[in-house]
Amino acid sequence: MKKLAIGTLLARLALIAAGLSALVPVLWTFLNSFKNRVDIVSAVPKFFFTPTLDNYLYVLNREAVAAGLVNSIVVAGAAVIIGAVLGLPAAYALARYPLRWGNDIQFFVLSMRFLPPVAVAIPLMVIWLQLELYDSRTALIATYTLLTLSTVIWLAIPAFKAVPKEVEEAGRVDGYGPYAIFFRIALPIAARSLVGAIAFGFVLVWNEFLIALMLTTSEAKTLPIVASELSQLGRDVPWGILNASVILLSLPPLLMVGVLSGFLNAAFKRKREAE
Amino acid sequence: MNPVASLSPEPKMSAIRCHHLIKRYGETQVVHAFDLDVADNEFVVFLGPSGCGKSTILRMLAGLEDISGGDLHIGGQRVNDLPPQERGIAMVFQNYALYPHMTVRDNIAFGLKRLKVPKAEIDSRIKEVSDTLGLERYLQRKPTELSGGQQQRVAIARAMIKTPKVFLFDEPLSNLDAKLRNHMRIEIAKLHQTLKTTTVYVTHDQHEAMTLADRIVLLRDGRIEQVGTPQEIFERPRSAFVAGFIGTPPMNLMEMAVHGLDGGQCELRGGGGSVRVDARRFALEGRARVTLGVRPAHLHLDTTRANGEGFAGEVQLIEYLGNEVLVSVGQGGEEIAVLLPSAAGPRLGEPLRFVADAQQVHLFDVATGASLLRPDAVLH
Repeated sequence: MKKLAIGTLLARLALIAAGLSALVPVLWTFLNSFKNRVDIVSAVPKFFFTPTLDNYLYVLNREAVAAGLVNSIVVAGAAVIIGAVLGLPAAYALARYPLRWGNDIQFFVLSMRFLPPVAVAIPLMVIWLQLELYDSRTALIATYTLLTLSTVIWLAIPAFKAVPKEVEEAGRVDGYGPYAIFFRIALPIAARSLVGAIAFGFVLVWNEFLIALMLTTSEAKTLPIVASELSQLGRDVPWGILNASVILLSLPPLLMVGVLSGFLNAAFKRKREAE
Repeated sequence: MNPVASLSPEPKMSAIRCHHLIKRYGETQVVHAFDLDVADNEFVVFLGPSGCGKSTILRMLAGLEDISGGDLHIGGQRVNDLPPQERGIAMVFQNYALYPHMTVRDNIAFGLKRLKVPKAEIDSRIKEVSDTLGLERYLQRKPTELSGGQQQRVAIARAMIKTPKVFLFDEPLSNLDAKLRNHMRIEIAKLHQTLKTTTVYVTHDQHEAMTLADRIVLLRDGRIEQVGTPQEIFERPRSAFVAGFIGTPPMNLMEMAVHGLDGGQCELRGGGGSVRVDARRFALEGRARVTLGVRPAHLHLDTTRANGEGFAGEVQLIEYLGNEVLVSVGQGGEEIAVLLPSAAGPRLGEPLRFVADAQQVHLFDVATGASLLRPDAVLH
């Protein structure tokens, strides 16, 4: 018994250590974003200091940040919407209608995620330059749609497969055609899992850095690019500003995940209450 | 010859006529030239072991499976290529297949909404079916908030409200526990008495089939083994397969040698016993061996030992069933099941002698399993 207890204790300690190693840097970044430069570069880490909002004000008052925020919202939003509008029906078709090439299509979609982004970015850069769309939101939306589309398709196929076939057949017997069954039966039933797939696609493109770096120079820069540029302001790294921008950048995906998990919890809670 | 030919040549409005229906998946044929006429108002049960094609045929009737060959008429109209909603059918699925994201009311109304039925009429019809099935209290609930029996009732309500020409049931009770299954079976029987809608019902449960059916279609490997009323199928099984499939406890089947006797009698010997049968009832000419089929209830204890006829053995196993006991008696390496009144009080290891009721035995071809009963033979 006692040995088991020690084992459990050790396991818990290991878990706590792992948890701390993930959380402490985030917490430290959060604290530093409210510090003056003196407090950050002090040799002894400071936990108690006079907080300041200067870093945030600096970041938020820069035009580049505002422009980057707009770009990020437009680009990620549009790529996710297009990816969902095209990807959900594609995933449904692959899940429900047996095709000779069905498995190959699925694998091809996934294989687009195997390639290192650089390998994709350089040809894309040439293509957009040739089309004179380089450094435009259009080019970035089109490129990101490739990412969201493949993610949404790949994650939505199992969601649609989980919809009981008989329920759709009952819809057919009730007189509904394939489109009505998709919109009025399959989509609402799979909605919970689909929301997760779409959220994942959003977070993926919101955080995307490398492709954005190669496809934009000034007009269409997204927030991750703008944030990274803040560190190149001079020889002295502006730690406070950098930390503040990291925190600001993390907020939208966090909010999104928070809202989503609330939505998911509510949905599951309803189901549990039902049972 | 064909018993269906005697039915009216013009099928009534909701009769079903299957002519040489075939189902193929690629190279594999799973339904072989299925012929059946279901009369107006009739309750027909497709019965058979799993994989016999009964559900496939039902789904072909529903329009959920393509028909690879043959003709299907419902209500006098060829419906081979019609989608489900144009066939005038309603279906109840094994796992209910309710729309989980809709309330019970919306589940029931979903089909009518498609038909653009006016709202007032939908409401009055929902009231009617929910009264019939006792669902008024649950109309605002989601299916997940209901018990299995209630969900099945919603599924039946959803089928009923469309006032279809034909009801199709695909193993509707197999997800319910035994008590609820009995209850729902009676409800379905009552419902059919009231509505009289032509019904095709698929099950693997012979008890359901025997109690519900006007006629049973017994299927095996995609072919019809026998069509008939429950009584016909029980009393005059056309093959050893039917005989073994229908009836609980199952019929004893054993191979016997044929010995001719005087006076139109034959003696069958084998399995450590013998039975005398009337040779005029069975086509025994030129046969040395036959398969004897005798139900456990048609074996009786013999205390007289009159002419040496009968079976003897020791009691190997006793299963107490209440009024009766099912006794396995070992004789000559084989076991034979005998149903005895509990009062007979058999004990393990006790030697027993019993005779078969000669009027109740069945004989089958050893190779094909076909019944050897002459078509004109009168049953006791």
